[in-house]
Amino acid sequence: MKKLMKAVSLLMAVMMLLGSVAFAETDMEYVKNKGKLIVGITDFAPMDYKDENGEWVGFDADMAKAFGAYLGVEVELVEIDWDNKILELDGKTIDCVWNGMTLTDEVKSAMETSNAYANNAQVVVLPTAKANDYADAAALSGLTFAVEAGSAGEAEVAALGYNMTSVHSQADTLLEVKAGTSDAAVIDALMAAAMVGEGTDYADLTYTLALNSEEYGVGFRKGSDLAAALNEFMAAAYADGTMMAIAETYGVQAAIIPQ
Amino acid sequence: MELIQQQLPIVLHSLNIGFLQTLKLFIVTLLGAMPLGLVIAFGSMSRFKPLSVFTRVIVWIVRGSPLMIQLLIIYYFPGLVLHNPIWGGGESGRFLAAAVAFIFNYACYFSEIYRGGIQSVPVGQIEAGYVLGMTKTQIFLRVKLLQVIKAIVPPMSNEIITLVKDTSLARIIALQEIIWAGQSFMKGSQGISGAIWPMFFTAVYYLAFNGIMTLLLGWLEKKLNYYR
Amino acid sequence: MLNASNLMKSFDGLGVLRGISLQVNEGEVVAIIGRSGSGKSTLLRCLNNLEKVDGGTIEIDNQALVKNGVYCPAAMQRKLCLKMGYVFQNFNLFPHMNVLRNLTEAQCCVLGREKDQAQKYARELLQKVGLADKEKAYPYQLSGGQQQRVAIARALAMDPEILCFDEPTSALDPLLTQEVLGVIRSLSAEKRTMVVVTHEMMFAREVADRVVYMEDGVIVAEGRPGEVFDSDKVRSFTGLGD
Repeated sequence: MKKLMKAVSLLMAVMMLLGSVAFAETDMEYVKNKGKLIVGITDFAPMDYKDENGEWVGFDADMAKAFGAYLGVEVELVEIDWDNKILELDGKTIDCVWNGMTLTDEVKSAMETSNAYANNAQVVVLPTAKANDYADAAALSGLTFAVEAGSAGEAEVAALGYNMTSVHSQADTLLEVKAGTSDAAVIDALMAAAMVGEGTDYADLTYTLALNSEEYGVGFRKGSDLAAALNEFMAAAYADGTMMAIAETYGVQAAIIPQ
Repeated sequence: MELIQQQLPIVLHSLNIGFLQTLKLFIVTLLGAMPLGLVIAFGSMSRFKPLSVFTRVIVWIVRGSPLMIQLLIIYYFPGLVLHNPIWGGGESGRFLAAAVAFIFNYACYFSEIYRGGIQSVPVGQIEAGYVLGMTKTQIFLRVKLLQVIKAIVPPMSNEIITLVKDTSLARIIALQEIIWAGQSFMKGSQGISGAIWPMFFTAVYYLAFNGIMTLLLGWLEKKLNYYR
Repeated sequence: MLNASNLMKSFDGLGVLRGISLQVNEGEVVAIIGRSGSGKSTLLRCLNNLEKVDGGTIEIDNQALVKNGVYCPAAMQRKLCLKMGYVFQNFNLFPHMNVLRNLTEAQCCVLGREKDQAQKYARELLQKVGLADKEKAYPYQLSGGQQQRVAIARALAMDPEILCFDEPTSALDPLLTQEVLGVIRSLSAEKRTMVVVTHEMMFAREVADRVVYMEDGVIVAEGRPGEVFDSDKVRSFTGLGD
């Protein structure tokens, strides 16, 4: 599947080169002309999620709406398949990816990214019963890991050189651990906090050590001038306190990076 | 168990919305692909060689390549290659693109079934209509049509039931059909996260709907069994 | 009534009809006999426009269906062929229609008759072929002989001037053959104009006013049954004779 997507992306990239001759307007002009900023998201509390009325809310969602107001355009939040985020950007079906996206080298090379705005980590998820046996990274060497294909967690486990299985989504990695087909999973700390432990189907799982620390950013089309505009906006919003106010609404104020 | 009881109303609400999308895609595909398939069938049976060859090549391409790739191409190519994202990024645009891909794909499958059905009517039937003075249209409508329908109902039933399940492929372009809705509770949605059962529960919807379809198509098949 | 001259027809370069001329007069029964592959069925199919000739002329009621190999417009072809009735070797009844509907369908949609009128006529014809009690039956519920009798009634329902039979009993076993021949016999007694391609030599001899013997796409012998069957050429084929 991943190879297939890569082949398609490559094919599309070649055709894009052939097609991208006349391209006068900047990305900001393009968005302003159509009067709408389409934001690609997934259901990812507390960054983007639906409230009781079915409205998209969350730290990222609210920031995106504020950025739209700053640009003077309407904002449409559209749920996408995370695997296809670059396809969606380049195919102009969305204008940015704003969904607690880790700024990896891959992301930075494929998109025009904003400054980092929040801290995150990749954490190890294990059955609670075994958690004490695996206190440090060295102790993990004998385990088989489930990771999301193309995720920051995959990169971390690969760097350690441990056995791993890449699956479709972060949620699937937990299914692997729960079903016993993998020993442990590596996912986002923010996500792990929401998904495992009491009150979930993964009550017997817990998360332990962090393998790294990393940062969230917003992604635009390669070469877009909107990234710089967002940096200006975030600096202003941090300075006047609106950014922290939004963060406090969703309980992520501790993770916010000063702009 | 108690947990599931709490989650049930929220999950069912989401799954219902997702299933409505599945159902919509299914119905639109059938309504579009059944007539288009007939046009393609006539194209591939045309005595005008270039037309029949062209049609058969198209049918080969569409039937020979994965529907998933066709969905990706139809949805993303206009923006990627032509710099004109005709479908837009919203939900309705994604649905439209999915519908176009499904209609075209299924029309090609249907066309082959139609072709087989039309060619299965013995030439003697057409000649019998002709010697009674019927026009070509009269022969098609009064002599062939019902015999063709009888011949194609069983293979069409197969395709229709496959279509119900194939609609789940549309999630590749983020059409939020029922499996998408079920999976959203795994990573977290509407306060429920780490719930596995909703995804498996979607199978109940498919089974129920396919059960109804099977009964309906079985009834039609039986109805046509009044002659041999 | 029917006038064909110098008909030519070939399939893949193989001459099937090689200069056939045939005339059928009103009230006459013509039997066409000959070996398999002699072209007799092709001749009948050409006369009914089920095959197109490569050359020659066919006139029906003095109007040309084809003149020197050139056909008249399609609508005219259909109109002319309505004067001809055709009964197939393997019946070709419409399987999805009951017996009555088989007889009324073309009456209504081609001749524009009212449904009541068409049904009344259909019942008369079914009576005539001895199947009055089968009008609700579907073809698959009938024996071969019964199906062929329905097919004859279906052709008669269109009031053709000339009724053609293409080996009407070849697909039937001997017992059922007689009931079909009986119907044709009774039609000849009514002085209907008929052309019968057949293998039934005794029947041809008995019913036909004229017999045509074909071999390799040409007519080798033609005349009153007695003359034709007694000629040496035909005798070697039929095995009949004194």
